[in-house]
Amino acid sequence: MASLAKGWDIQKRVIKALMIRELTTRFGRENIGFLWIMVEPLLFAGLIALLWRVTKGPFEFGVDIVAFVISGYIPMVLFRSTINRAVSAFTANGSLMYHRQVKVLDLIIVRFIIEFIGHMMAYFFICSTLLALGLFPSPHDLGFVILGWLYFSLFTFSIAVIVAPLSEMSEVIEKIIPVTNYMMIPLSGAFFLVGSLSPALANAALYSPPVHAMEMMRLGIFGPGISPQFEFFYPLAFALPCIALGLMLCRRVRRTLVIE
Amino acid sequence: MIRCENIRKSYPAGHGRRAVLKGVNLTIARGERVALLGRNGAGKSTLIKQIGGVELPDSGRIVRHMSISWPIGFNGGFQGSLTGYDNARFIARIYGHSYVDMRDFVEDFTELGGALRMPVKTYSSGMRARLAFALSLAIEFDCYLIDEVILVGDQNFQRKCHHELFEKRSDRAMIIASHDMHTIRDVCNRAVLIHDGHGITFDEVGEAVERYEAL
Repeated sequence: MASLAKGWDIQKRVIKALMIRELTTRFGRENIGFLWIMVEPLLFAGLIALLWRVTKGPFEFGVDIVAFVISGYIPMVLFRSTINRAVSAFTANGSLMYHRQVKVLDLIIVRFIIEFIGHMMAYFFICSTLLALGLFPSPHDLGFVILGWLYFSLFTFSIAVIVAPLSEMSEVIEKIIPVTNYMMIPLSGAFFLVGSLSPALANAALYSPPVHAMEMMRLGIFGPGISPQFEFFYPLAFALPCIALGLMLCRRVRRTLVIE
Repeated sequence: MIRCENIRKSYPAGHGRRAVLKGVNLTIARGERVALLGRNGAGKSTLIKQIGGVELPDSGRIVRHMSISWPIGFNGGFQGSLTGYDNARFIARIYGHSYVDMRDFVEDFTELGGALRMPVKTYSSGMRARLAFALSLAIEFDCYLIDEVILVGDQNFQRKCHHELFEKRSDRAMIIASHDMHTIRDVCNRAVLIHDGHGITFDEVGEAVERYEAL
């Protein structure tokens, strides 16, 4: 037990140190510093929401269009940034492998946590601002919003754990992965409600784990009126084996990692 | 004690792989100072990286019964885009060391002054060597891995290194890769000559130096 506690202690120390290091290298200490992590998703989601509002009018699928776009877009950007940060994460941080207590998995965890916090802050900030201005519906059930967020994030992490080692194993994969991010536009469920699809399409959409998470989130925001469709355990049943596979790949890749 | 058992390591080279270490055996006891000799590219740094756990061998086993520093060299161990102080902070954090002590030691040992506020990538190799040594000496290890870096820098730095490493820490084990036979003869009590992917151990440093010079 003593060694387990000690290991946990080292783990906490390493994650904290890596987080601070990552934040200072990426954002520096000038002007707003690490608050930059929420600016990008904020601007992205804001502009896209404005675009939709102007071109499509105030409602989409019978719900507030701005709330609909923002609730879909920010998680999708979270996925995209996390995956982009996971590509070549090990070689980019090769010098950290000089310290034996730093494991390759820590690098993925740290990059994921930073994206997760940044996007969650952006989501919270934009939603509460719009809510205060009366431009956002007051959430039907906050629990579902949070559950949906966590599921979406877990899915993101499970893919990142696989992508990071794969990108080290083959250059082809490294180049292809950023492109496949576009597949997430339909697969994330960010821009549709399952209830508004034809039964055949809805069936197909529900094979994608993040769609379930997105539906939970939207139930939390808009209420049962959107006839949400999801299963509670499907995203989990998908993510856990993915993480296991990712851990195996990480272990394999670590053996062959060449460090300057 | 550190024991390397049949360490093999190869790297990708074109379509095949090039074997650098072809079964190296080595045991280092507490307080022993082992010189690693070999020509450029013989695999000295490679062996040090395997012992330090920076890279993992293709096969073979490394048993570590003492705390081992990271390989002290010109790169590795620090982040170029961060300042000297930030690197010190990072090292202090991951090794659970007090930053204040770390900072005082680094300032005193490196004598870099204001340069510690500059990104490490702007440092000369002498300055890097100073920082690398300071960071690893601030954390006490049972065994120090020193890769070439020892003989760079000016007189004053060499004197300091000598004092901190071989006088104050004379009870520690060290693995030193170097081409400077004078220092090797001076400080090491055993030597390993790496040639053709194999390690030949000499209990007499002088003998190893002679073999090395005859290569």
